[in-house]
Amino acid sequence: MSTRARVTQMETPAANGGNALLVLVGLGVAFLLITALLGAAKAGGNLFNESNLLYVALIFYAGAGALYMGFGVTGTAKYVKYASICTAIGFVANTLAVAHRWYLSGRPPFASIYEMLLSFVWTLALLTLVAEKKFGVKIIGSITMPLAVVCVILMQLLPSEVRPLVPALQSTWLHVHVTLAMLSYATCAVSFALAMMFLIKDDFSTDLFLAWTSTLVSGIYLGIVATRFERWGGLSVTAWDVQNKSDVFLGRGVRLFVTIPELGWLFVIALLGALAPLALYFLARTRHNASYLAVANKAVFVGILLQVVVLGAFVLRVKDSSYTSPYQEGVYPTSLAASPFILGGMVAAIFASLLYLMLLWRRTDLQDLLPSGDTLDRVTYKTICIAFPLLTGMIATGAFWANRTWGSYWSWDPKETWAAITWLVYAGYLHMRVTRGWRGRRAAYFAILGFGVVIFTFLGVTYLLPGLHAYA
Amino acid sequence: MAFAMLSIPKRIYRTLANLRTGVVLLILVVIASALGTFVLQRPVTEPDKLQAAYSPQTLRWLDRLTLTDIFHSWWFLSLLALVSLSIIFVSLERFPNAWRFFARPYRKTDSHFRSANPYKLELPIRNADQGLNAAERALKKLGWPVERTVDNGQSSLYSEKNRFSVMAVYLIHASLLLIFLGGIIDGVFGFSGFMSIPQGQQRNSIELKNGKMKQLPFSVQCYSAGQEDYADGSPKKWWSKLAVVENGKPIQTKEIVVNDPLVYRGLRFYQASYWIDSKKVDGLRIAYSGLDSKVIPLELRFNQPVNLDTNTTVTLVEYLSDAFVRDGQVFKKTDNIGNVAFALEVADHANNSTAKVWLFPAEGSVLGAEKVKFQFKDPTSAKDIDFSPVTGLEVSYEPGQWFVWAGCLLMGVGLFVAFYMVHMRIWAVEVPDAHGKLVLWIGGAANKNKDRFEQKYAQVVAEIRNELDSNTPAARPFLQEKKERPELTMSGTK
Repeated sequence: MSTRARVTQMETPAANGGNALLVLVGLGVAFLLITALLGAAKAGGNLFNESNLLYVALIFYAGAGALYMGFGVTGTAKYVKYASICTAIGFVANTLAVAHRWYLSGRPPFASIYEMLLSFVWTLALLTLVAEKKFGVKIIGSITMPLAVVCVILMQLLPSEVRPLVPALQSTWLHVHVTLAMLSYATCAVSFALAMMFLIKDDFSTDLFLAWTSTLVSGIYLGIVATRFERWGGLSVTAWDVQNKSDVFLGRGVRLFVTIPELGWLFVIALLGALAPLALYFLARTRHNASYLAVANKAVFVGILLQVVVLGAFVLRVKDSSYTSPYQEGVYPTSLAASPFILGGMVAAIFASLLYLMLLWRRTDLQDLLPSGDTLDRVTYKTICIAFPLLTGMIATGAFWANRTWGSYWSWDPKETWAAITWLVYAGYLHMRVTRGWRGRRAAYFAILGFGVVIFTFLGVTYLLPGLHAYA
Repeated sequence: MAFAMLSIPKRIYRTLANLRTGVVLLILVVIASALGTFVLQRPVTEPDKLQAAYSPQTLRWLDRLTLTDIFHSWWFLSLLALVSLSIIFVSLERFPNAWRFFARPYRKTDSHFRSANPYKLELPIRNADQGLNAAERALKKLGWPVERTVDNGQSSLYSEKNRFSVMAVYLIHASLLLIFLGGIIDGVFGFSGFMSIPQGQQRNSIELKNGKMKQLPFSVQCYSAGQEDYADGSPKKWWSKLAVVENGKPIQTKEIVVNDPLVYRGLRFYQASYWIDSKKVDGLRIAYSGLDSKVIPLELRFNQPVNLDTNTTVTLVEYLSDAFVRDGQVFKKTDNIGNVAFALEVADHANNSTAKVWLFPAEGSVLGAEKVKFQFKDPTSAKDIDFSPVTGLEVSYEPGQWFVWAGCLLMGVGLFVAFYMVHMRIWAVEVPDAHGKLVLWIGGAANKNKDRFEQKYAQVVAEIRNELDSNTPAARPFLQEKKERPELTMSGTK
């Protein structure tokens, strides 16, 4: 009896302290919903249209993300529960958005990259809920929800009108192909999140997480700076054709860039901010002095602040303004919609850093919430056992469709090739696991690598490499 | 001497039959294919684009290293061949063991086996045979096939489900080889190319991907072709009515659309594109009136004279897609469709004279009308023009594709069996326990999805318990017996 009383006593203050963030997130969600509602009411038209529903989903996914972060800061276990509820509500709104789009266009929403992201996020949220409820991986959402938020932000920026299908896309096989693709990619994303969970549970060193997070963030900023930094500190972004809602093209596939003066320096500073923890980590390793790591962790915190500032500056400078172009005379408008991947990358970098902080501050709490390492390892394997046949089916139906449309089932198109590479990587995982008995960490690394390849296949190939697969 | 010579192929076999070699080869394939997506590839990229992307020197080196056509280079194809060989050899190495396991499953239940088995527990029984009988009834009730085996006078039960699933791996690898085989057949015997046929004409040669022309033993006639648009003007559907013509006779006709090709003798003709040849028209419809002012509709085909009266004929002789007039002369401006112009030749056979009349439907004007006694009424009606559509057909001959599809289907089946069908085994034997008391030992094993097997195993055990209980209901009150029940002991639940 006395034990029980003590437990209640101990729980009560934590719960009180926890309510503050719940109230805050609740207020935030309510505020955003009301502003959205007012905006929608002012604009007139149907309140329950797709973009509003998607916005609701975004708000709730972001709420879930904030609650996971809140858990990271305070360690209040009930945040996780509410985050799960947020995920579920977001999922419902997301489902309605998909259904509305389907109803509106009279076909499953799989034709453009926008629609694919829509289905991807939906599947991701569904699998997150399944992993939470069925396998007890309660905090898997802390990785999948930020991913969902990044995707939804990308979607808000990508052109979303329901476009009629070009002749090559009109086939039942397309829907089968893309459904399988989205299911398998989302399953791969979940297996990635599970593998990360495994590393957290398995005492993968926090310092290494620091190193990898910094590498990822530096990689994102390095990519932006390397491709977009203009002389004298400008940042070049794609010009935006306001009327046609598309990028401005000079020729076939050649985009017109405009330069935003001085913004490039900010990105360089953010890059340095991301590199600093990495450098400090290596200093700590080479000099065997852990005090550098403490500084590195502070540097991550500063880095996040820097990134937020840069993100803010970027949004303000880019939003609906016009700049000159070094390539062609005149002033051209640009828009956030013209730079979805810079924006997505920046948001992803912030999320990655925040996740690291959450790990740094609440590692033991996270570990307590997770099921055993064995279970995580097994569930990762299970998700890949689901993803792999789906991937195979995706490639086979894609080949069949290409054969009926382009007259060849395999033409070594970049998208095809990268799908095959993804398939080979996961095949490697399965072989290593079954014949060499790879378990635990090595298997987890493999699952993480696999998802990296998936991301490249899904987004990287579409935007970086040329090919037939121009639709997505 | 002979021995040393023999050992080289053997060594090659050993190397390729090693899974590690296979993994190294796969990594090489991955690297090469990734490279092939970063470097622009020859057949798909137009030469001028390649020249724009790389400096001449870089391009020369890329060409010399076959990096601009990796996927058809000899070394990439050899790499794929080595991968296939590796798959075959690795499978050959492993197959005998797997087959032994498959053909003669382990039914014995000796003490070493019992202690090593992952799922096991012991149930108390009253007398010999009571346990085995109960287990047999329970398993049959749950739909498990039951075998009784006797080993050294020890009788035991063996039951299993989905034994074939252990062979699924070989099915998957065989299907992969089948797909490769299809690819090789197509690489050697197959070809693909493009042919464009203007409406109303026939063609019998295709332009291959490498720019060479290939003659077909028959020709393809395009009766008509067209496009349907969405409301916003973007194309919705392309179609062409095609016929295969052999020895001057149409043999097969079909209207094809984008995802529905015409197939003849293994050659498939796909609707790939559609355009209007703005340089050509087939004909137009127009109205004219003679001296009696009666307006008569007239349909003109290119270069086909039409009688206006007994002495006069009119012929559509010239067409300009975009024309302009200067000093009474008509000139061509561009090849795009703009100010369309038609020249009609009006021949007066009585006077043996001809006159040329130009019609401009867009402007509604006529040039040279004063020279003839017929009036071409309302030239704007000449907008009813039969432009010459051209259908673009992708032609491919891929005899190996059936192997590919068969391989895909087989792989689907193989993956399903390998991932979702579990080889489950249950053994039951009566043995003395640590205190020398006779108990029923129940063991189980599964090759994957251990969570589900745990449930199945628990179900079987519960049913056997049930059978044991119902055998002697009065002697064992339910509650009392529950206490005595040993807990499930499991280890190695990985």
